[in-house]
This record gives sequence, C-alpha cells and structure tokens, in this order.
Amino acid sequence: MSVGFIGAGQLAQALVKGFTAAGVIAAQRITASAPDTDLPTVAGLRKLGVNFTTSNKEAAHKSDVLFLAVKPHIIPFVLDEIGPDIEDRHLIVSCAAGVTISSIEKKLQQYRTSPKVMRCMTNTPVVVREGATVYATGTHADVEDGKLLEQLMASVGFCTEVEEDLIDAVTGLSGSGPAYAFTALDALADGGVKMGLPRRLAVRLGAQALLGAAKMLLDSEQHPGQLKDNVCSPGGATIHALHFLESGGFRSLLINAVEASCIRTRELQSLADQEKISAAAIKKTTLDKVLQQPGVSEASVGTRSRVSLFRNGVKKQ
Amino acid sequence: MECELSQLKVGFVGAGNMAYAVAEGLLKSGDISADNVTVSAPSDRNLPRFQALGARVSHSNTEVACASRLLFIAVKPHLVPTVLGQISPHVTRQHVVVSVAAGVTLATLEELLPDGVGVVRLMPNLPCVLQEGALLLARGSGAGPGVESLLKRLLAPCGLVEAGPEGWIDAHTGMSGSGVAFVYLFAEALADGGVKMGIPAALAQRIAAQTLLGAGLMLRDCGKPASVLRAEVCTPGGTTIHGLHALEKGGVRAAVMSAVEAATERARELGRK
Repeated sequence: MSVGFIGAGQLAQALVKGFTAAGVIAAQRITASAPDTDLPTVAGLRKLGVNFTTSNKEAAHKSDVLFLAVKPHIIPFVLDEIGPDIEDRHLIVSCAAGVTISSIEKKLQQYRTSPKVMRCMTNTPVVVREGATVYATGTHADVEDGKLLEQLMASVGFCTEVEEDLIDAVTGLSGSGPAYAFTALDALADGGVKMGLPRRLAVRLGAQALLGAAKMLLDSEQHPGQLKDNVCSPGGATIHALHFLESGGFRSLLINAVEASCIRTRELQSLADQEKISAAAIKKTTLDKVLQQPGVSEASVGTRSRVSLFRNGVKKQ
Repeated sequence: MECELSQLKVGFVGAGNMAYAVAEGLLKSGDISADNVTVSAPSDRNLPRFQALGARVSHSNTEVACASRLLFIAVKPHLVPTVLGQISPHVTRQHVVVSVAAGVTLATLEELLPDGVGVVRLMPNLPCVLQEGALLLARGSGAGPGVESLLKRLLAPCGLVEAGPEGWIDAHTGMSGSGVAFVYLFAEALADGGVKMGIPAALAQRIAAQTLLGAGLMLRDCGKPASVLRAEVCTPGGTTIHGLHALEKGGVRAAVMSAVEAATERARELGRK
C-alpha cells in the first residue's frame, strides 16, 4: 500500500513522522507534493525519506490512500487538478477543517462515478503518536476503507469513527486543543518562573504535570472532578489555587474556546460551500504555482469564475 | 455517663427553635423517655410545645441543671456566660454540657464550668427543625469518645451528625449554617429565571423548591458525586449544558467558594471576641 499527501505542511509532516515512527508504513512508500519547495516542512519530509514532488498529479498516481493535507480553501483547486487522475483503488482522505464529504464527492463525481472519500479530523500530536483523530465515512467508501484508515491513524494515537456532523465539535475540542494546552503550559511555566524556578525546569515540570494528569484521567473510571478532589487536601495549597482559577472563570473560558473554534469551523465551511472565497483568502502565489504544473491549464483547473478575480494579476500560463 | 439510656436525664437551657429541634430528634430516637427531659426558659412563650412532647418545663435554669446529666445550652451566644455562671455550681463531672451557641469556643465554655466537666460544641443548622439538619460536633478535653457515640446516636433523627476537631466548626457554619441561606438565594434566582421566561412567580418558586429538594435527595442517596450526577444530566448539545455554560461564565463556583470563605472567616472572628 502506498500513501500520498497533497500538501507538505505541518499536518503532512506530523502524520509522516508518526506513521514512520510507528512502523505502519515505510517512508519510501510515501509521496508528498506541494508547489512551494521552500517550506521548512518540505526539507523535513525529504529527510524522513519521503518522495517529494511539486506535482500533485504525481502524488495521486503514486498512492492508494491519498491524504488531502492542504488548507481548506485550496481543496477545490486540488480536487479539480487531480480529479482526472483518480482511479477505483484510491481512497481520498480529506483532513481539511470544515470541508464536507459531500462537497468533495460532488467535485470528484465530475470525473468518477463512485469516488471513495473519507473525512478526518486529527491533531498535531500525531507527530509523537499521541494524536486524537476522528473520521467520517463517505457514500462510496466501505467498512474495509474505514478499517484501513483507522489502522493508519490508530498507529499515531487515538482514532474512532463519528458521524460527520460532529467533526466541527471535534475540531473545536481536540483539533485546537493542543493550542489551548500550549498556552496553558506557557503560563504555568511563567508561574513557576515567577516563584523562582529556572525556565527550562518550569516548562518541563508543567508539561509533565499535564501529561501525567491526562494519563491518570484516561486510565481512570473516575470523573475529572473526583480526580481533582483527590489532589485537594482540605485548606491546602491546591484548593487555594483552584479558587483563583474559578474566580477567573477558567472553566467558562475553556468552554468558550471550544465553542468559538467549532463555530468558526462551521463559518469557514459555509463560506467554502458558497464558493465565495475572498481575494485575501487565496494566496495568489499558490494559485500561480498550481497553474505552473505541467498538464495544468486555467481551463483544467476550473477556476474560471475565481480566476477572474486575478485576471489582471495572473501573469504566467 | 454510665446509665441506661431510658434512665438518662436530659436538660435544655433555652427553649427556642434549635432546642426544640434537638429535643424532638432526641425523643424520636426512642431511647430517651420524655419525662426525663426538662426545659427552662425565662417566659412561658415557647414552653407549651415542649410540654406537648411530654417534657417537663421550668423557669429555673438551675433546676434543669440539677435534674439532668446531658445538658444542652441553647441560649443566644451573648447569654451563655450569664447562664453558665448561674448553673456552674451545680454542674459536676457526671454532666456532659453541649453548647449550640455559635461562636462560643470550647475554651470559653471550659473556663466557665468546673474543671474536668465534659463539654461539647454542637453546630446544627436550620433544617434541624424538619429533622433534616447537618450537625457537626466537637468534643472538649473532658468529653471522651463515648460521649461522641452517645450524641451521634441520640441526635441521628435530626439529620446528618458528624464529629470533628473544633477547627471545623467555623467552616461548617460557613458551609451549612449559612449555606442554607446560600441555597435560598439560589432558589430565588432560579425562580426569577423562571419568571423571566414566562412562569408566574408563585409557581416558579414552588418548582424551584422542589427542584432543589429532588436534586438534594439524589445527591444524598444515589451514591454518586455531584460532578458525576451533573455530567449525567447533560445531553450533548442540549439545554442543560447551555445553561451550565452561562453559570460558569458567571463565575458561580468561585462566588460560592468565596461565600463559604467569608462566612467562615466571620465565624472565626466572632469566636475570637
């Protein structure tokens, strides 16, 4: 089995690092493509032994499972580009936040009657094999395809199937979650430093505390509230500290964050569905480079209505 | 304190609501005989209901002290020194003196009574009057473990009876003594919310009361901690989690913790005076 990545950014690199560390697939059986070879992640992928190309079509040809690891607003372009190259064997797995299975199937059905599409939402800790991944199965993908994807993603963390309508909530929680944790850890370290710890030690201890707590929770049948109670001795240091957290609205801030991320994901999705992408949203250079690919013309990329935004700016054909 | 419970003579100095609540609970336990109970108060106002229980009544604190071995001091805190001054000559090591006066420390009580007398502080709360109280007792040095088990047994009908070091009594006041008022505040707010959303006030208040009661019973009797019960009520994306989010945004948890802290600090302050 070969795996391809359209897009060679953070997500592709994280998944490749995870898969290869897990030994679930060899680096040589992985191909990644991106128009911009200057990305630092490209160098990283090359170092891992992955086949790199600037041609998305080549990545499609060389893979069975094809991950779409580009930004959501790029997905339509990519689909139009590789559409003609999709075969029956291909399993298309989109990792793009807010992009629905039906929108992908609709695009690909211009080229193929039953494209096998799945949608997944993962997160960056796949790089250390502690990812949190959910996936939803498209109309023409079957149980075997789900099992295959699950096998791959389970090698880099937790993976489970969900109904597609829950994916935005997952994005808000575990998709964005690591960022919440990094922010918390930064602040915890600051707290440690304020109270006299050297920075490196503070960071190390903070990270270990969160890691340990998360592990305890995952291993326990108990509710997090109960685990909290176990740490708080009456009148002790911890309960004093928790009172401060509560006074600051700690819990509601976290609920707000998950909600905001989920809502924004839905907003982006609805913008994409309307195919009203603002000029600012599309990086012109990206489009230029897509148009530079051999065998790709303006017409084949199908960007007629969108290219009109750039008619004056598009120089290369 | 070695005697058959049916022979045990119990006295109450003070005949207010708290005294009545304790007396009622004591008699409910069935161990104590009503005619072994004596109650004193300066006026007749509160005495009839004690008589209705079968207890004997008096206007003399001294008489009650002499007629009992387990003696409850249930007068207002500022009257405690006067009362103890009166009865102290008649209190012996055969007595156990239980004070329910808020803010009057074991040290103060022991100072006002003869050496070696067993002294206990009992902090009840208002729902004792319905036999659903939360009571915490703290023993002085003269009162042994036997006194603790005796009181726990006799007071069991009053509600939850627990024992602890004196240091916990102020926190118990904050949590449960004053805590009852915090719950009333929450009930008012719940009802106001109902009124805002269209329910008439009287009905909203009855619903609020029953909601608290039902939730409280589940909390006490279901064997699950509050956090788990809360999680069980929250359907994904449902009404409850939306409401809870609003509560969290309001910092309710912190406010409640602060309320308990403020009430406890005040109890400590009062105890120092």
